[in-house]
Order: sequence, then structure tokens, then C-alpha cells
Amino acid sequence: MEDTVLEDIEIASPSMVKQAARDFAAALAETPQFKAFEQAAYAFRQNQAAQLALQAYQQKQQSLRALLMLNALSAEQHDELERLESAFITQPVVQKYFTAQAELATLCQALGDALSESIGLNYAAACGVSCCG
Amino acid sequence: MQTVLNPSMQEAADALIGNLLASEAFVRCQQAHARLNEDRQAHTLLEQLSQAQADLRKKQANSGVIQTEIDNLRTLQEQVQHNNVIMTYAQTQQEAVNFLREINDEISQLLGINFASFANHTTC
Repeated sequence: MEDTVLEDIEIASPSMVKQAARDFAAALAETPQFKAFEQAAYAFRQNQAAQLALQAYQQKQQSLRALLMLNALSAEQHDELERLESAFITQPVVQKYFTAQAELATLCQALGDALSESIGLNYAAACGVSCCG
Repeated sequence: MQTVLNPSMQEAADALIGNLLASEAFVRCQQAHARLNEDRQAHTLLEQLSQAQADLRKKQANSGVIQTEIDNLRTLQEQVQHNNVIMTYAQTQQEAVNFLREINDEISQLLGINFASFANHTTC
């Protein structure tokens, strides 16, 4: 390996960079998008109907996992799963949560793009995030 | 549509970028990248490797790979692995990525969400 010359260069220590990261997180936490997301997430967690609808949908999905992977659901099973999904996502509190999540994602993407462009690395990809998070 | 950042968010983002670029991991990576750009031999080697990989992929799809092409690819891979300039760049880039992950953890811990997941454009 070749040695890198770092003399004459002002280096930011890891603790300085981490402080800048914490300041960045604090600024993001103060944005209307983040506050709206937190409120929507709280309302969603507290809403019993939404939680029960989510549970019912997830349980059905889990029970059909093998068939789903094989794309081998019967028409009835498919309809039942769609009905449960719809019962979940049409809950007003869930819709509010998804909207707030999308708005926060738009802001985070703009910030991620600014970071990526400046540092020469794709921020999300470098942090090991795939399409499924 | 372009997202407009409020002044304090913009300031915090600029400060984070400035600090990241001035961190040891990123400075080393930038220096190694500059050396790679200046090194004609290293550049040629990477281009040859990339071309050989693309050719092999194409031939694999057509089931027409011959042993000499596989040997040629292995030779190029070995040359790359013995090239100081290329390997220094690869190593410093990995160190920069590791440091970036630490920074993302710091941000995410405070927010209670994985910031990088929210910053990701790709969806399933």
C-alpha cells in the first residue's frame, strides 16, 4: 500500500464529524416533514383499528407465504389477501402515515442526493441500503 | 420537483459535507483517487479488466467461452491485485464507506429511523 501524505491538511477528527452528523440529525428532526411523520407514526401506533387491520393482513400474508412465493394463490386466497390489505391501507390513520412517510422520504432523498454529489459516493448504497431498506 | 431546504437544514447539510470531506478517511480516498487518475498504467489495466469481464459475460450468455479468455481474465485480475495504486484506492474507498456507515448510524440513532433507507430512491 502507498502511504498517504496528510501533513499540511486540516483533518476533521471523527468526533468533529460525528458532532456535525448529530447537528444534521437535530436540524432534520426540527423540519415540518419529520415532525409530521413522528405524529403520524404515533397516531398509527395508538390506533387500535389500524393495528388490528395490520395484524390481520400480516397473519394472512404469513400463512400464505409459501404459496405467494410460488405465485400459486387461488382466486379466493388472492381476493381475501387483497381485501385485508385494502382494509388496512384505507384506514385514514394509515393513509396519513404513508403520506407523511413519503414526504419525509422526499426530503431525505434531497439531502442524500446533496451528500452523494458532494462526497462522490452514493450515500444510500454505500450505507448498505437495498431497495427493501 | 426540487425540494427546497430551509436555511438551518441547508447549513447543517453543508457542515456535514464539509466535515466528511475533511475527515481522514475521505482525504485518503480523494488522494488515492487523484493518484489513480494520474496513473496511466493503472487506468489501462482497469479498462482492460472491465473489457475482459464484459466480453466474457457476453460470451457466457452465448455459451462460447474459451479457456484462454478465462486465463486472460485471471491474469488481469492478478495484475490488478498487485497494482499498488489501484489497491490503495480500493482500500481507501472501503474505509470511506465504513466511516460513512458510522456517520449514518449516528444520524439514525438520534432520529429513530434509518436515514439512509429514507434517502434511498429505489423501491422494490
